[in-house]
Amino acid sequence: MLKIILPTILLTPTAFIIKPSILFSSYLSFSLLIALTSLTWLNYPATTPQYFTDLMMVDRISAPLLTLTCWLLPLMVMASQNHLNQEPLHRKRTFLILISILQALLIFTFSTTNLILFYIMFEATLIPTLVVITRWGNQAERLTAGTYFLFYTLASSLPLLIAILFINFKNNLSSTMVLQMIQPQMMETASNSLLWLACLLAFMVKMPLYGLHLWLPKAHVEAPIAGSMVLAAILLKLGGYGIIRMTTILHPQPLNLFYPFLILSLWGIVMTSSICMRQTDLKSLIAYSSVSHMGLVISACLIQTPWANTGAMLLMIAHGLTSSMLFCLANTSYERTHSRTMVLARGLQLVFPLMTTWWLLANLTNMALPPSINLMGELLIITSLFNWSMTTIILTGTGTLITAIYTLNMFLTTQRNKLPNHLMTNTPNHTREHLLMILHAAPLLLLILNPSLI
Amino acid sequence: MFGGRTALLLRGLRPWLRVEPRRHRDSFRDFTKEFDKFRQKAKGILPGSDWTPLPISRDLPPEQADVVIVGGGVVGWSVAYWLKRNEPQSGAVRVVVVERDLSVSCLSSARYAKASTVLSVGGIRQQYSMPENIQMSLFSANFLRLIDEYLHVIGQPPVDVQFNPSGYLFLASDETAAILEENVKVQRMEGAKVSLLSPAELKKKYPWMNTDGVVLASCGLENEGWFDPWTLLNALRSKAISMGVYQSCGEVTSFTSDTTEMVTQDGEQIDFSRIKYVNVHMPNSTEYASIQCSLVVNAAGAWSSKVAEMAGIGTGPPDSISGVKLPVEPKKRYVYVWHCPDGPGLGFPMLIDTTGAYCRREGLGGNYLGGISPTEEEEPDIQDLEVDHEFFQEKVWPKLAHRVPCFESLKVKSSWAGYYDYNTFDQSPVIGLHPLVDNLYFATGFSGHGLQQAPAVGQAIAELILDGKYKTIDLEAFSFNRLIKGEKALERNVI
Repeated sequence: MLKIILPTILLTPTAFIIKPSILFSSYLSFSLLIALTSLTWLNYPATTPQYFTDLMMVDRISAPLLTLTCWLLPLMVMASQNHLNQEPLHRKRTFLILISILQALLIFTFSTTNLILFYIMFEATLIPTLVVITRWGNQAERLTAGTYFLFYTLASSLPLLIAILFINFKNNLSSTMVLQMIQPQMMETASNSLLWLACLLAFMVKMPLYGLHLWLPKAHVEAPIAGSMVLAAILLKLGGYGIIRMTTILHPQPLNLFYPFLILSLWGIVMTSSICMRQTDLKSLIAYSSVSHMGLVISACLIQTPWANTGAMLLMIAHGLTSSMLFCLANTSYERTHSRTMVLARGLQLVFPLMTTWWLLANLTNMALPPSINLMGELLIITSLFNWSMTTIILTGTGTLITAIYTLNMFLTTQRNKLPNHLMTNTPNHTREHLLMILHAAPLLLLILNPSLI
Repeated sequence: MFGGRTALLLRGLRPWLRVEPRRHRDSFRDFTKEFDKFRQKAKGILPGSDWTPLPISRDLPPEQADVVIVGGGVVGWSVAYWLKRNEPQSGAVRVVVVERDLSVSCLSSARYAKASTVLSVGGIRQQYSMPENIQMSLFSANFLRLIDEYLHVIGQPPVDVQFNPSGYLFLASDETAAILEENVKVQRMEGAKVSLLSPAELKKKYPWMNTDGVVLASCGLENEGWFDPWTLLNALRSKAISMGVYQSCGEVTSFTSDTTEMVTQDGEQIDFSRIKYVNVHMPNSTEYASIQCSLVVNAAGAWSSKVAEMAGIGTGPPDSISGVKLPVEPKKRYVYVWHCPDGPGLGFPMLIDTTGAYCRREGLGGNYLGGISPTEEEEPDIQDLEVDHEFFQEKVWPKLAHRVPCFESLKVKSSWAGYYDYNTFDQSPVIGLHPLVDNLYFATGFSGHGLQQAPAVGQAIAELILDGKYKTIDLEAFSFNRLIKGEKALERNVI
């Protein structure tokens, strides 16, 4: 554990010190080394659990998310290199410091057992993300986007703070490992429901649940590419991880409480996928499709069966990689045409045929094509939801159908339409961009061979 | 005692003393006033208001736009309107129109002081020699006929463009009669309703005319006449703004482009460039902003060649593609309004004489307007829009008086001057892309026909941008490539 945490924390002073000529390349190689080392977390020996201490632990739920986080850092740096090129040196350093701080905080969030430390880190990740969105975003709307992003999460997590403190004072400890073994209260009092609500609301907003999702399209669209990547891939999964952890503590469920959330999330799948069909802005489309996939994850986490939890984990990792890849692809076309409108940046297969391969791959996995892990995750979730109640298949089935429709629409519009006359000369694809796509796609494809790693 | 000197002293000290007249102070009223002030301030801060801690200057253009249209005349707004009308989903394309002539607060210039649109005579005709011109005018006439359906904004009064369908009457002498007949044939093939008249028929139809030297005349029967350009511009503008087009007041001073240098097989170097940012300078201040853009449409009218030079067109060595300039220059044309009490009546069309002088009825009070295009040697100075009255006395009046004898006694009431965005190469518009600059579209060089062709051109450019090709009217003949190849697309019927 320490072999990863210490280097990540020390990436911050590294970004201060490296001389400018090798700033990006050395930072990149350091973060890649950390990413490779983080793969050791995926080793789950059956006999003795490996990474357990007082405050921190890495178990089968945290490990895949942690690995994804560490994997994403070099990818973020690679993706941002182009738009950071013209910035003055201190801004480049600031950017790298911000994302390394974010990385360290995320590692702590995922690996801690103490609920209060978890909350502190959860909130602390908001700050670097906010700075990245509002400072390096492209449009004037990024200020509104930052405000929405910050205050949605902040307002909903205040009850979480109170709930965690209450649990801490009541049980005199706040370790998730021990708390889940304490005899749960069987009373269905109003305060019990309030406690349940307080604990889970923050994560619902983070996921996001359909009714509380307004911050997501704004934040994703206005953020620079690294911000979009980390938002889509990791920060959304913070919510899922939180729900999984909290429900082990808050078990058992008062039934009438989680009906609204389940219904909202299932309905949200259908609604947000339908919005995607009418989107003209490419990044907005990918943002709404994130909401749609995360709706599935919320409903799975809420019904808490083993298959559902497995499906949720699978889908979280798969969606993290896919969504991040889609954002990177949208960014490559945005950098060349300076327009996120799909209708103005179409027919790209003629100009960038190799990038079309990656577009195809990302869109196929977004659609949950077999045998990708997206499909396995969705399949497990849909099956367990069907087991829980037969009518959910209508909503999830419709959601899958509409997802396929808008994904194919996105692919065909950006790649296959008539190439507009004003896109004749473009800078060719850099090796860096292809490397970025491979590093996204390789884990996706390799995990098909061994999904039990997640 | 407290009069006289003391009063004078107090009066002198008044600026410092500020002695206010006594009044009954009502503490409750003061309190409510303070409360109101507080409420105003609170309303400004609460969500839902647009107060921000970092105030963005209201007049700056947005930082990013998909299409930036340089020039807010009738062509620019027409392109903006058609882009919004043809976009696949509402809000798909982000359009900004940058126009520098808008500031009401500016001391000397009123709005649109120099734009060709509002200084135009406002005529529309189909009597051209090129089929594309005829098709464009026909489309525009249809557009004007249905203008309320196209441009109606909910809550606003219906659009009335005051179309006078009086038609154009072209007179031809011996030399030009054959050309006139050929043109009429082309016009009829395109669907324009034009009739040919002999001098006898002319005399019967228009008894006020002196038919000396006239061998043939062509008269447009439908879809020709004149209308109010200001109404069209405002209608297009308000409709486009209601559909989400941003209007920005500022002058485009430069483009920031990405250039790729390539070498051809012969070893010649060609620079392909792509405009990334449009730098806009705010009026009457030193503020400037840059708009990150995907496409730029050059609809700057008489000043289009300056805008084209900002993109590097015409700045290369003279015998290369990048050295071909956009040959659009401003040419000043005068229009005179006079009153003639016994002039021709309501049926007076837009008369275009064999000499090139033109005149038409203006309003219903016996006023007429007209002018003539000066010859090459007499081209007036384009520095300002001052009118030369001698020009009327010497060049316009004699010719018109010869043709319409009642114009021998008239009184000039007013006059103005406006610019033609004159294409010095072949007097035809330049529409379409440039081969070297990837994302610059031209919609300029109309040489006096910009107003009547604006709706059609707007639709053509919108089709080019959104669909990649011309769908309704094929304007391939007006592309920039003809300037490079040197092939003229001559329009012979330029007034």
